[in-house]
Amino acid sequence: MTQLDLAALDATPHRSALTQRRRDRMAHVEPRGARQHTARQRVELLVDAGSFVEIGPLRTADGKGTGVLTGWGRVDGRHVVVIAHDAAVASGAIGAVFADAVQKAQRLAIDRGFPIVYLNDSGGARVPDGVFALHGCGVIFALNVEAQRRVPQISVILGPCAGAAAYSPALTDWTIMVKGHGHMFLTGPDIVKAATGEDATADEIGGSQLHTVTSGVAHLEVEDEAAALAETRRLLSFLPSHAGAPMPFAPPAEPDQVAVDALPFVVPEKASVVFDMNRVLDGVLDAGERFELMPTHAPSILTVLGRLDGRPVGIVANQPGARGGILDAKASVKAARFVEFCSRFGLPVLTFVDVPGFLPGTVEEGRGVITHGAKLLKAYIESSAPVLTVVVRKAYGGAYIAMGAKSLGADFQWAWSNAEIAVMGPGGAVTLLHRRALAAADDPVALRDELAAQYREEVARPYVAAESGIVDDVIVPEETRGRLADALRMLCADPA
Amino acid sequence: MTTAARADIVANVWKIVVREGDPVAAGDELAVLETMKMEIPVIAPSGGHVVRICVEEGQIVQEGDPVVEIDGTPGA
Repeated sequence: MTQLDLAALDATPHRSALTQRRRDRMAHVEPRGARQHTARQRVELLVDAGSFVEIGPLRTADGKGTGVLTGWGRVDGRHVVVIAHDAAVASGAIGAVFADAVQKAQRLAIDRGFPIVYLNDSGGARVPDGVFALHGCGVIFALNVEAQRRVPQISVILGPCAGAAAYSPALTDWTIMVKGHGHMFLTGPDIVKAATGEDATADEIGGSQLHTVTSGVAHLEVEDEAAALAETRRLLSFLPSHAGAPMPFAPPAEPDQVAVDALPFVVPEKASVVFDMNRVLDGVLDAGERFELMPTHAPSILTVLGRLDGRPVGIVANQPGARGGILDAKASVKAARFVEFCSRFGLPVLTFVDVPGFLPGTVEEGRGVITHGAKLLKAYIESSAPVLTVVVRKAYGGAYIAMGAKSLGADFQWAWSNAEIAVMGPGGAVTLLHRRALAAADDPVALRDELAAQYREEVARPYVAAESGIVDDVIVPEETRGRLADALRMLCADPA
Repeated sequence: MTTAARADIVANVWKIVVREGDPVAAGDELAVLETMKMEIPVIAPSGGHVVRICVEEGQIVQEGDPVVEIDGTPGA
């Protein structure tokens, strides 16, 4: 067929009608307000160049479209399903047709085993659609929960997200918020003012600072839309496409030699002196990228994705450099959620322990630290992924158990040779056990120091735990990487 | 504008490292709290001069309480 023939063919009414409809639907809409990109540009920034395929591009609710762009594309060559709210159509409000389009994409991802990325920018349920909008939102939630058992789900908050557009992310695994114009709230400032009289800005009700520092509703704050989409790609690079899928290995990379040489000196001898646990991770994990989730919320515990021998792993570690590394209600929920996520997708959990205990007192009890601490116990107990635990310094009381102890099902638990494991620290234990002797002593301070030293050697040293088989071995810091790698190779080997 | 270095956990004020009028840089240790047998440093959030010590050694501070106030004038 010649060029001339094709041009003539395109002039036929049925062909030109299709061309016109496509042109109308693909018409460029300038991003509104603080938005930096249109819905389509956001999708194209997320996926590999030219890989996006839209589902139902001509579908419409009221002639302008569904208000949501759905389809699939590839990230680093692996398929993902993308659901992008289009704020240019009725502020991205979720109507019945919008909800049905989202559900079809969710179903595709669940059936085929592809991660789902939600690019959220929606005011919530579409008011004129009434109960049909509410029903549609509820079905999206139900599919969010069904998808939890099957594929990773990441929500990116790129505009004001109210109601259902804020609830759906809470049923997904990780939520990334853009600073400034990403908001999540039940309802915005105007309705808050009308409902309760409270006068508050959108930032105060649901800004990225509130949710990534205080509430823990979102897990990462980024500067702009491009960073949000780049971080989403980076997060996916650590995750399998679905539960049971092969892990995305990278070439193994020995840790930086400076960090390895420093490792035996990172942990201060004195148990009360703080240090940065990241220096331990630097000397043990593969060199290269790590992805820290919730870096600013409950910073006394670290939850990080990294690699060991090229294999993606989840790391839970006390951070003595923040609030002494204590466990509290928020830190427990943060760690529990992370361990539970790793378990669902088969990511081995490496736990590094240096914990003074659960923070006691009225504030924490009032926050329900018992209930929340129990969530951490449950997450480790139920983990179907390998759990490997290293006690790098002190591990006292219930916090010793909660940090992935052998009793909760850790596959292996090692202690560094300077470790102390006990029901309480030497100071408290001696006061409790030797109350009378201390009261009668001529020099109670000297006696207390002597008894504390004795307690440390006789009760708390890791040899008690190793001789009883509760700790698998006592090791020195520089042996840690090898022990972890050997165990992972064995535990993750295909069954014969 | 003054900014306060605050206690990030309920604790006992163990020692105060700076005095009023001292120049400080962001990241300097201003005081050390003691809680759960851990020494928790209170760090200057920004540089300037110490304008007020808000606590005494041995005192209990709650999470969020100001420990040391710093003004915005160029410090050390």
